[in-house]
Amino acid sequence: MEAHEWMINYTRQTEWIDRRGIWLWIAFYAGGLGGGLYLVSLFFNSLEGMFISWLIIAVIKGGAHLVYLGKPLRFWRIVTRPQSSWLARGILFVLGFILFGAIQLALSFWMPGGAAEVVFKVLAGAAALAVTVYTGFVLNTVKAVPFWNSTLLPVLFVLCGVLGGFGLSVVIALSGGSINLDIAEAGSRWLLIINALLIAVYLWAAANRAPTGKQSVLEQMRGGLALFFWGGIVVLGIIIPLLIGFFGQFAGNGASALLITGVACEIIGGLALRYCVLKAGAYKPLVARSA
Amino acid sequence: MRWGMVVDLSKCVRCYACIAACRIEHFLPEGMNWPRLMALETGGDKPAVATYSLRCNQCQDAPCVEVCPTGATYQRPDGIIAIDQDKCVGCRYCVIACPYQNRTFLSKDKAKGFFPESGPTPYEEAGNKLYKHQVGTTEKCNFCAERIDAGLAKGLKPGIDRDATPACVNTCPAQALTFGDLDDPDSEVSKLIRENDGFQLHPEYGTDPSVFFIDKKIGQTNKKTNKTKKDDKSRRATAGSVAEK
Repeated sequence: MEAHEWMINYTRQTEWIDRRGIWLWIAFYAGGLGGGLYLVSLFFNSLEGMFISWLIIAVIKGGAHLVYLGKPLRFWRIVTRPQSSWLARGILFVLGFILFGAIQLALSFWMPGGAAEVVFKVLAGAAALAVTVYTGFVLNTVKAVPFWNSTLLPVLFVLCGVLGGFGLSVVIALSGGSINLDIAEAGSRWLLIINALLIAVYLWAAANRAPTGKQSVLEQMRGGLALFFWGGIVVLGIIIPLLIGFFGQFAGNGASALLITGVACEIIGGLALRYCVLKAGAYKPLVARSA
Repeated sequence: MRWGMVVDLSKCVRCYACIAACRIEHFLPEGMNWPRLMALETGGDKPAVATYSLRCNQCQDAPCVEVCPTGATYQRPDGIIAIDQDKCVGCRYCVIACPYQNRTFLSKDKAKGFFPESGPTPYEEAGNKLYKHQVGTTEKCNFCAERIDAGLAKGLKPGIDRDATPACVNTCPAQALTFGDLDDPDSEVSKLIRENDGFQLHPEYGTDPSVFFIDKKIGQTNKKTNKTKKDDKSRRATAGSVAEK
């Protein structure tokens, strides 16, 4: 007699994280980070930030998506069903951002101050927000994975992306870019606190949603993902950047190297968060094991 | 018209003939299985073994159709969920979205061939001509749609005439699989479901699968005593629908 684990126990999804699925993890995170940085750069009106965010989305996110596809040459087909598929919508948002962002960057560089620049900033900003949020919807529409079945997930991904954006804006400010370092640091600090609270609420809600959701949470806190959760998300992603941030607040501007370390930790934390969300996503048993 | 299947849990003898028939019918690559077989113990006081012959449920409200970004996965008028391999980009969103985990991505390592060191066998060469599988796309059971279409074109009736009936149903030596039109109240499948309390896996997802399961042993014992009816209810309750309430 053969009892397959995937039918009587909860089973992890593997397609979107194991083996080549690692590219999707990179694509998802790059979308959040790039979109977040663009929104933060709009706030600071930083052309450098906008350009870097455009590169992150167009090159890293776009490239990672292409590498992941089984048939990359058919890539253009992926936008043909936006009426029902969040993946199709997401790629349209990405293409929209690449187009509007490129026009806006060109206008801001060669013809700044015009009405057209403002229009394309609005369009690219809306597309950047959509790029940041859509991955959350891609996951939360999967009914069979209780850990993802939460309206908090898109919010979490947006805030995580904007947090990464504030982090990169600190680096741009330290490199002499047109960004106010104090405001960028303060933004990072507040978003770190909000993100930490949101992660806690998200995990609590997931643990109470279904037994499989609870298993996903336990897998992160005590199971095979504990190192990524506690080490990556909690320590590197939240505690160390917060300590560095508060050190900067109370003791004047921290050393550049320390601030950059904090930003690197934030980015590792963001990557770890996406990794844990994808890796811990598990299906309900197909047929429950009887008592 | 809505093609559907009924799996009688009490009849399946776990011979794997359905899987073998499917492999032959569709020239499946080495690492690919469309139907799957799973046996597990059920029941508390009276343990028994139930064997679930599983395949794509051809859901009427299929999540895979909804999430497919290219339209490669679509629903035919007869309810069968089909994949246009030429449109599939291999994003695997459908694999993720299927609550029953019935879709498989055909990666290079699954299509190495049965004897990669000595090249394709004549069987594989014939398969490459007759039923080409594309590496980098997603596959699943299609209720042998090509048999159904060819049979209907000849005026045959799927579920009754062998040439118009899925290969797994034809080959099952225990007659545990029955195929037919779920929209026809007089079809064999409709009668079996009606008379034996047929159930679907995880109805709470709202996907309305076209594969139903029955257990004739349960149906028979239900008529005898209330006690056994209670036992049977608890036994059936293990079958997915209330798995995680």
